[in-house]
Amino acid sequence: MKGIFQWFAISALAISVVGCSQPAGSAKVSEPGGSTTKELKGDLEVVAFKGGYGLDQYEKAGKEFGEKNPDLKVKVTGDPRVWLQLRPRLVAGTPPDLMFPGWDMDVWALIEEGQLKPLDEALDQPAADGKGTWRDSFDPNVLKLGQKDGKTYLLPYYVMTYGWWFDPGVFTKNGWTAPKTYAELLTLCEKIKAKGIAPITYQGQYPYYMVEGMLLPWAASIGGIEAVNDAQNLVPGAWKSDALLKAATMIDELNKKGYLQAGAVGMSHTESQTQFVNGKAAMIPCGSWLPSEMKEVTPPTAKMQFFLPPVVDGGKGDPSTMLIGVEPWMIPNDAKNPDAGIELFRYMTSLPKAKEFVETKNTLMAIKGSDEVKLPEVLVPQSAALKAAKTVWSNQFRSWYKAAEKDIEGALTSMLNGELTPRQFVDRCEAAAEKTRKDSSIPKYKVS
Amino acid sequence: MKRTGFIVGFLAPAVLIYLALVLVPLGQALIFSAYQWRGVSAKRKFVGADNFRELAGDHDFLRSVTNNLWLLVGAGVVIIAVSLVVAHLTAAPGKSAKMLRGFSLVPQMVSLVAVAVLWQFIFNPEGLLNATLRGAGLTSWTRTWLGDSHFALAGVGVAFAWYAVGFYALLFGAGLRNIPAEVNEAAELDGSQGWNRFTQITWPMLWSVKRTAITYLVINVMNTFALVFLMTRGGPDRASDTMLTYLYEQAFVNSKFGYATAVAVGNFAVAMILSLAILFFLRRDPTSSQNKAAA
Repeated sequence: MKGIFQWFAISALAISVVGCSQPAGSAKVSEPGGSTTKELKGDLEVVAFKGGYGLDQYEKAGKEFGEKNPDLKVKVTGDPRVWLQLRPRLVAGTPPDLMFPGWDMDVWALIEEGQLKPLDEALDQPAADGKGTWRDSFDPNVLKLGQKDGKTYLLPYYVMTYGWWFDPGVFTKNGWTAPKTYAELLTLCEKIKAKGIAPITYQGQYPYYMVEGMLLPWAASIGGIEAVNDAQNLVPGAWKSDALLKAATMIDELNKKGYLQAGAVGMSHTESQTQFVNGKAAMIPCGSWLPSEMKEVTPPTAKMQFFLPPVVDGGKGDPSTMLIGVEPWMIPNDAKNPDAGIELFRYMTSLPKAKEFVETKNTLMAIKGSDEVKLPEVLVPQSAALKAAKTVWSNQFRSWYKAAEKDIEGALTSMLNGELTPRQFVDRCEAAAEKTRKDSSIPKYKVS
Repeated sequence: MKRTGFIVGFLAPAVLIYLALVLVPLGQALIFSAYQWRGVSAKRKFVGADNFRELAGDHDFLRSVTNNLWLLVGAGVVIIAVSLVVAHLTAAPGKSAKMLRGFSLVPQMVSLVAVAVLWQFIFNPEGLLNATLRGAGLTSWTRTWLGDSHFALAGVGVAFAWYAVGFYALLFGAGLRNIPAEVNEAAELDGSQGWNRFTQITWPMLWSVKRTAITYLVINVMNTFALVFLMTRGGPDRASDTMLTYLYEQAFVNSKFGYATAVAVGNFAVAMILSLAILFFLRRDPTSSQNKAAA
């Protein structure tokens, strides 16, 4: 009930940006009825995950926003493990006004506990530049990832794309090309192996890289996106479907043929990625953060280029299908100055600011048109793939059903260690899904 | 009366600190374990003993308990054996013994994070251990040590033993120095040497140190977290999961703080039962009973 009262209280403030003539960032909030406006004032606290992209762009946006709203005192802080600091504050009811809690916060638990504000009313107000609604400024495929029961709680910012990587220098030198199909992959792996290089390495200690880099993309390629959607939606039998079984068999085949780097099953993400950047392995499945994550240890001669996971010939899936992910921003329900938090984020996601983030941080953004800048070389293939993708999806299962995901990842490791056959692997996946289905204490979600 | 007030005055600060920092949190843990709580809001739902019922049938938890016990037995035997050898070597007079005493304590001065990283490097498929094996012509022995379900837990155990030996050697060293010189001299006169002297004289005379060391070991092994988390994250496929890594997963990954607290209570119960069992089985000082019998 408390959450509902707070929601009505916030609704009464009728958050809106008034007039298309307002410059980006000069935020005013309309009073109920929208006839009068009031300036944003007071303290605005922003707490953000200090990851590979640092805090500087958020601090800069906060400073600029503070200058445009002189009665507002903006404070931006962050930490690499910010989720640990935010948990006690959320429990105590003293959260910040705008937060980006990072990849290890259980954001769906926050929604279930009524800790986040639904933001649809704000999204239906004009965008920061006054052109269309704020909602329209986001890529709808990305915006929908933060919705539950038709309400939007999580707002996207940068977009991570998932695929495979190779070194174009090494490939050109050897006359190799990035494989587009699984058949091409098998042929290429044999050639690479003959050169004494491991064809593929992977982050064995974190099996979700392989789940998202091979298992699910291949299942989507074989059975169409419905195969993966059914698995995410816990449809009975979906985790042991023919598509999942065939995808698991393909991984097993690569392993048994010696195309997966020996020992990678015990490697951390940095260990395996170091093998890749040092040329000891030719390809690696990883998200778009790979270049920035490995920047410090990448030899100057090494390059890396993104490509989509090879598809399966004759599969039902659309070959342009692309897996993406977001690390969302949100407004806590107990925020003291939620309007200011919303307006700052509206400013941060304005087209000029989004373009600035793309250029300075070398990442794609969820804001339409933000890639219409001179993209850094490393982003060009990702941007092209995302633009060409007819189907864009995200592995939400991993954040919805963490216990089941852990079981599936464990089973994958056991298959890679030769302790499970592909059939036994998918049976374990299905058992994990079944356990989740039967557990009434676990909230259930649907891919929208 | 005055004397009682005097004693209470001295005891009160310690009792209050113990109450605030040990008993109250323990009581809170017991209370939290009766709730379903996601740990992201103040909302909690009372579920009584449901968390413990779930725990009793949770195969993953039982596996983590088994892993803890294997660590205790495997690493424990190695730690006691090696630390006894080191204690004997460092008990001898001379500079080299002093140097060895210093070296044996070096791992204790290193943070557990550094220990984990060091042993990760050693066990890495391209690391020191496999390189040594290859160099010795034993290529077929090379393994993905921490990625292999048969060796991952043992790998963590080796790192733990390397870290812990210095402390237990220090403990046993102090025990050895406490054995009265006349006892050793009498044994020597009776012709007792080497293994015979160790089993008949030294080992029984180390009774109180043994008891302390094993109790410490139980507590340390039951509290193993950082090494496992950093070296294997409990993998592969839970092969090296311990109670505390499982607790962490339940609390901070699955947002099941109530259940995680039940795991903590389970961990406490296992450590307590083992410690009490040790104190029970080692309650009598064999040397003092021999002394009494002799008297």
